[in-house]
Amino acid sequence: MRVLVCAKQVPEVTDVQVDPETGTLNRDGVASILNPFCEYAMDLALDLKKGMDDVEIVVLSMGPPQARAALMRCLEMGADRAILVTDRRFAGADTWATALTISKIVEKLDKVDLILVGKHAIDGDTAQVGPELAECLNIPQVTYAVGLELDEKRRRVRVRRETDRGHQVVQMRLPGLVSVSKGAALRRVCSFQDILEARRKELITMTADDLGVDESELGLKGSLTQVVKIFPPVEREAGRVVDGTNPPLAARQVVEFLKDKHFV
Amino acid sequence: MNNTNSQHEIRAETVPEIAFDTVRRIDGLEEIAANYAPYLADESRLPHQGADYLFFPNDEAELAAVMREMSRQGKPVTISGARTGLVGGAVPAGGAIVSMDRFDKVVDIRYDEGSKEWRLSVESAVSLRDLGDWINKKSFPGLLGRASPETEKQFGLFKEDPRSYFYPPDPTEMSASLGGTVATNASGAASFRYGATREWIRGLRVMLASGEVLDVPRGKYFVTGDRKFTVVNGAGERTPLTLPSYRMPETKKNTAGFFSAPGMDLIDLFIGSEGLFGIITRVEIALEVWHSSISVVQFLPSDEAALDFVIGLREEKDIRPEFVEFYDDGALALLRDRQRENPKFIDMPPIPEDAGAAVFYDIEFDGNAAAPDFSRLEEVTRRCGASLAQTWAGYERRDLARFRHFRHALPETVNSIIGERKKAHPGLHKLGTDLAVPDACLREIWQFYKERLAAAGLEWVVFGHIGDNHLHVNILPKDMDELARGLDIYRDFARKAVDLHGTVSAEHGIGKMKKKFLAVMFTPDELEEMAALKLALDPQAMMNPGDILDIQGAVQ
Repeated sequence: MRVLVCAKQVPEVTDVQVDPETGTLNRDGVASILNPFCEYAMDLALDLKKGMDDVEIVVLSMGPPQARAALMRCLEMGADRAILVTDRRFAGADTWATALTISKIVEKLDKVDLILVGKHAIDGDTAQVGPELAECLNIPQVTYAVGLELDEKRRRVRVRRETDRGHQVVQMRLPGLVSVSKGAALRRVCSFQDILEARRKELITMTADDLGVDESELGLKGSLTQVVKIFPPVEREAGRVVDGTNPPLAARQVVEFLKDKHFV
Repeated sequence: MNNTNSQHEIRAETVPEIAFDTVRRIDGLEEIAANYAPYLADESRLPHQGADYLFFPNDEAELAAVMREMSRQGKPVTISGARTGLVGGAVPAGGAIVSMDRFDKVVDIRYDEGSKEWRLSVESAVSLRDLGDWINKKSFPGLLGRASPETEKQFGLFKEDPRSYFYPPDPTEMSASLGGTVATNASGAASFRYGATREWIRGLRVMLASGEVLDVPRGKYFVTGDRKFTVVNGAGERTPLTLPSYRMPETKKNTAGFFSAPGMDLIDLFIGSEGLFGIITRVEIALEVWHSSISVVQFLPSDEAALDFVIGLREEKDIRPEFVEFYDDGALALLRDRQRENPKFIDMPPIPEDAGAAVFYDIEFDGNAAAPDFSRLEEVTRRCGASLAQTWAGYERRDLARFRHFRHALPETVNSIIGERKKAHPGLHKLGTDLAVPDACLREIWQFYKERLAAAGLEWVVFGHIGDNHLHVNILPKDMDELARGLDIYRDFARKAVDLHGTVSAEHGIGKMKKKFLAVMFTPDELEEMAALKLALDPQAMMNPGDILDIQGAVQ
């Protein structure tokens, strides 16, 4: 059985500032990490593999050459091999062009049973590439998974997914795609041996030439959307908090406030 | 004067006279306590003994005016850096407090061709945090505005150098001032690879109690073979000095007593002298090329296996960890308890149940290297009954921060346990040793600790800088009786460390709080020699009264 995990490298978000003049992200000195939701997808893949030697985890990332580091993290965690899809002709790809490109790679891989993706990347936040990838491949998908379980015959997965009101358990036939919203509560820690062995695992690079796709469908040219502007959210004033330790006083304060604003 | 003589004597520089009244000054204990209370205390929380003045000199001329006036008034001076010390060194004992806060600039940068290293001249109040940040960013606030054309040129070359640099001494407390770390010869975990602060000091400017300045570059002035040296003041008067005759402990880290050895470099006398001879106004440091590294927590079957592992690491000259830290069986048990209560506090996976000890080290590692070779390390690990699979490891910046947090979890846990117990017994406190011994004595001192502690039936954990044989034995007394028994054991440990040519204070210093341990390490005659040297350089005993030595007849 083959599980494909899609991984994205993102800036360590706590550090990132938006340049108010240009609207671009200021990435100077900002570390790059594996997108946490992709790491959760790896967590579920590894849970699935536990005790099953014939499950192969392949991890794939489309990005600049530096995205190798995100793949390396997945190999350290326990992925079996990795594919870096990198080419200048992919630059500027929107979610659609990205999904299409990845779908072409998946078609090249020999039989993928399950695709796991993070629900979104913490930099772009679109949450579109996963669902679009399933559409491109014409396979079923379940989003916002927090856990999954394989049936005995490995023809279906039972997915526990988050909803606004709680959880839902959904069964999906394979091959299919699952987007993951939460993994282990504690970030995994690798051993030094895991880290050294990861560097001996297979990590191949693929380019546009390997896809057999017309260049007009790739990168900026193949993108249906364009980002016009990025700007930081307008900061809102802090609200007023009424101390509730003295209820009559607190109630009076609330009434005063509402009167003041002409609500009552 | 021939060349040999000039090596053995130094001429003090006279600083231009300016009016004492121009120096910023706070008068009276009442005003100081009301608005400048932090200057009356340091991290030791030792109670102060009052102060009449608090000064904020801007430069050496102002500092000299303060020293001359205090000498005239017969008032002692306590030097105030960042007050991060643990032994009360900066807590005033009457007289004046001199804050070095305004000595906060980088003054010069240059490449030294002889030693092939970058050197930075920094005023003494710059914090290690700011210093580290500036070096990392290759940006020194205000330097270009005041620099000479030569400095500007050198700074340009430094920025063009593609390598990153850092200043290796890391005593954990990054708000410490550079001057304070020199005065205490501060060390820390990273001293395993890089040595204590002393190793990185290339020059000092020290203001004496007289208000004159000694400019002491490393490699220029040396004491004679029989430990003599002469200081010549501005008026041409000669003061002969004789350094103490004792033998220094054979440990990498030591902060007990003045540095003394035949033929030594004069600069080493001032490093670690805790401000008893003068005030450090400027420091020239050497920088080291920065490299990326990986943090590793190696679990081992037992305390003894961990000791074997450490000794094995030291024997392999090609394996050069940044630091090597130890967690004994008891320390791991304590952390497991903590994890059960709150897994987030440790923020690590469960500590393996079969782990009987752990060794934490950082080692050079390039995440982008194709096939790093750690076969020697694997071999050492295997010989001690463990493997690299029984580790936690991480090298991303966030992982290094996570591992650093883990490293602090144990001392924090110990402190919080003592904090709880203090509620029932307010006089209770933690007993943490600061003893270090030479490399060859690690197993012996460990056996001694373990046997004595087991026999005493007290609660204890051991952690710390095992790479430098500098373990913090922490005794956790439950009541005042246990505290008293713990103190007895502590004294036994100190005597044992000294017997093994170790030190009673590897990194915390002596200050006002650990003077009793100096008497374990030195004979009364040797303490006399220290006092005589102090009085030769500071005849009124003005500088840092009550620190290290109790000197009769000091100014008051």
